Amino acid sequence: MDGHNVNTKGYEYCSGCGICLLVCPLWRKTRSMPHTRKARARALQGGATIEDIATSIDACLLCGSCEPACPEGIGIAAMNMEQRRKLNQLRTTYPSWYPEPSGMKTRIKDNVLHNSIILIAGEYPEANLKARSAVIELLGGNKKVSLAVDDGRDIAGLLEAGLPVTQDRIDDFIRPLRHAGTLVVSEGLLHVPLRKWFPGKKVMGTGEALLSSAYIRKALGPEDLYIIECRGYHSDYERLVKFYDRLRKETGCQINLDLQRIAIPTGASSLQAKKDIEAAGCLEQARWIIRGRSMSRIVVEDLADLEVFQRVTDVPVIHVGQLRQDNS
Amino acid sequence: MHIPVFERGIIPPDPVAPDSLKGIPRQKTNPSRWQGENWQDFVLDLRSRGVTVCESRADCSVFMTDAGGVAYGLSHGVVRPTSAEDISKVLKAAQIHRVPVTTRGGGLTTEGESVAFGGLLLDMSSMNRVLEINPDAMTARTQAGIFWHQLAEILRRDGLDYLSAPLNLTASVGGTLGVGGIDVNSPRLGCSADQAVALQVVTPTGDIVNCSEQENPELMERALFGYGQFGVITEATLKIRKFTPVTIQYFYYSSLRTAIEDLQFIAREDASDYSGILTILDRAITLLVAFDSDGREREFNARWKRNLRGHGEAGFGLHMAWHYLLHPWRIKEAAYIIGRRFKLFPEFWRSEFMHNGKIVDRTVVFSRAVWKFWGGPQMVIPDLSSKAEKFAEAVERGNAVCRKYFRHYTLYCVGIKLRGRLPRYELSCIPPDAADIAYGCEFEPMLRGTNYSRDYLQSFKNEIYDIGVDMGLSYYRFGGMMKGYIRRAMGDELVDKHLAMKKAADPAMILNAEVIF
Repeated sequence: MDGHNVNTKGYEYCSGCGICLLVCPLWRKTRSMPHTRKARARALQGGATIEDIATSIDACLLCGSCEPACPEGIGIAAMNMEQRRKLNQLRTTYPSWYPEPSGMKTRIKDNVLHNSIILIAGEYPEANLKARSAVIELLGGNKKVSLAVDDGRDIAGLLEAGLPVTQDRIDDFIRPLRHAGTLVVSEGLLHVPLRKWFPGKKVMGTGEALLSSAYIRKALGPEDLYIIECRGYHSDYERLVKFYDRLRKETGCQINLDLQRIAIPTGASSLQAKKDIEAAGCLEQARWIIRGRSMSRIVVEDLADLEVFQRVTDVPVIHVGQLRQDNS
Repeated sequence: MHIPVFERGIIPPDPVAPDSLKGIPRQKTNPSRWQGENWQDFVLDLRSRGVTVCESRADCSVFMTDAGGVAYGLSHGVVRPTSAEDISKVLKAAQIHRVPVTTRGGGLTTEGESVAFGGLLLDMSSMNRVLEINPDAMTARTQAGIFWHQLAEILRRDGLDYLSAPLNLTASVGGTLGVGGIDVNSPRLGCSADQAVALQVVTPTGDIVNCSEQENPELMERALFGYGQFGVITEATLKIRKFTPVTIQYFYYSSLRTAIEDLQFIAREDASDYSGILTILDRAITLLVAFDSDGREREFNARWKRNLRGHGEAGFGLHMAWHYLLHPWRIKEAAYIIGRRFKLFPEFWRSEFMHNGKIVDRTVVFSRAVWKFWGGPQMVIPDLSSKAEKFAEAVERGNAVCRKYFRHYTLYCVGIKLRGRLPRYELSCIPPDAADIAYGCEFEPMLRGTNYSRDYLQSFKNEIYDIGVDMGLSYYRFGGMMKGYIRRAMGDELVDKHLAMKKAADPAMILNAEVIF
């Protein structure tokens, strides 16, 4: 299986407009056309093989920024993962940042969860467990919200690397979730597959789930720079661009959106960044996001962004789950 | 049969009189591929000078066509320069080894001007840094490979904006300055090229030269509107301004001529900050009028608005309803207009790009709409540019050609404020007889989902371009595959003058030589 998106057009539809590269963090970092989605599409159209463009395929951070920018509606994120999958079939050694191909969790005994909201919280380091508790509290507390023990992080990693995920593993992951009405999922890469597996359920990121409450929105103001988690945002762009636009108009907060209203990614959630945050260009991206802005606080949706911004600025950086605590 | 052989760069006068061959399709094909003489020596030479040449299929095929998608060609190799020095080395070696060099920015040409048919391709997009923003002088100095949108993203962090640029996010600064660059504020501010205060240019022989209207003015005048013939623009200092969101008013017409007359009235009276015409059909014409400030809009409303003959949307809807009631056999046309209206116009009013009723980032809004509704793997956009007095006739004649060839097409008309008669306007899109304001019209068939042959599209372009020859007009896109028209439209004397200048500047005729000569 792969992370199918709603856009299913392939690279053959690329007209070469290049709008995708304007939002690409790799383009910003390398200034090298061959590293961009446009170049990969054009190269394949021109007869290059998937091995010819392997460096570019591997370099992609899968932030998904290029997909909503594409006027042709090409399913870029799914295509990138598919290309990684094909590339994996042809090579004997994997990039150093790849997860172990056999790195799936063994069966996790997660009970079937009966609350209406299930939080699939992703990676909360020890230091941030309070933030996770705060998120649960803000979403309605333990009576309303169940925390999934199995966060599917291994599945997300394997999908990102284009490595196979067994159906058994997927079944183990989704079985406990089937009674929920809403899935609040920190890992943006899982949004698309979860929508496919549960067509009727609401799948949303932590930020959207929390900011749906006016009580939490009131904690944001013009002096805040709010950092959207990019993968989830770009996977549901048409809806979320309006959600965050309302947020900006209501609170006056600044957001990591560019002039096309694409979320500028740090890339911190990528597999490459987990290996080396600096080499993945995350710090440079964070510097670009804050350049020229005046803010007294940075609020991030993605925990991986906490470290990135803490390394490039002295301004306090908090998780969206800590908004109310921070204001009180 | 004796076939005369001409040395490269020696082009004889056109034996075809401007008024001959009417109605006979003139096929212009891609230039023949350069065969690669001395290529290896050239590459070795460059490597010894520290310049990397990428020769893989993947590297070259990225640039195999341009936005037009009609001309296809592969270079022998690609250089992604990081400095003017890199380009200097490339051009010096190219002169020695006589290797053709094609420069490319965003690749938004439509006649193969930025496609390399063999030889070396210079991918200028790698030179995309903003070097200096000077808020006192209100200028920005930037590497010329930068896309206008990248520049806008950087300027906007300081509340600044460029003056005028094509409504296309991935047009490059260097490429735009080389051909002119037209925006919907060009009736007021002129071409993008006229916003350049100073340039750094690498000449075809590899000299790195700074130029402006005071320093090396001859090179400045040749590099701007020069179609890449007289050097590679590596840096540009551009005028900038404070950023302002814009308010837009739309007026709807059912007569092309009336809409054009009103467009010219607005430009002549300097009644708005932006103006342009965009058609759905030739009986459903939109005149866009926009303003940078409330004061300008108030002045327009008080002084000029009543002179316009266009309808508001509701009035136009009633007008058209009445028209189609009397012409029920054209009901499909009405359905097309309504369908297009409901698909296209919401794109211009997306809430995320609006603030207090004003459009923020007009270039983003329009460019995204352009690619979404007019873009595609193939784009054919012949055009005509004219002095004011001839413009309405030129557009009407071009419209008749469009009707003959296509069911659906769009006309885009805009004025271009001139700065007198500068040398840079010679052999350019600015018609030789235009004074004060020139006007341009693009004729763009809707090709998405259609399957026309290349010959069919070429015949269409030829008929549009024949109008230019017939009426003594100019064109925005006269290079590349349409260069057969340059001598017919501009005359041998002018073309020979520029050819002589080109040969003096570029002895081996290696730099973008297939574009014009």
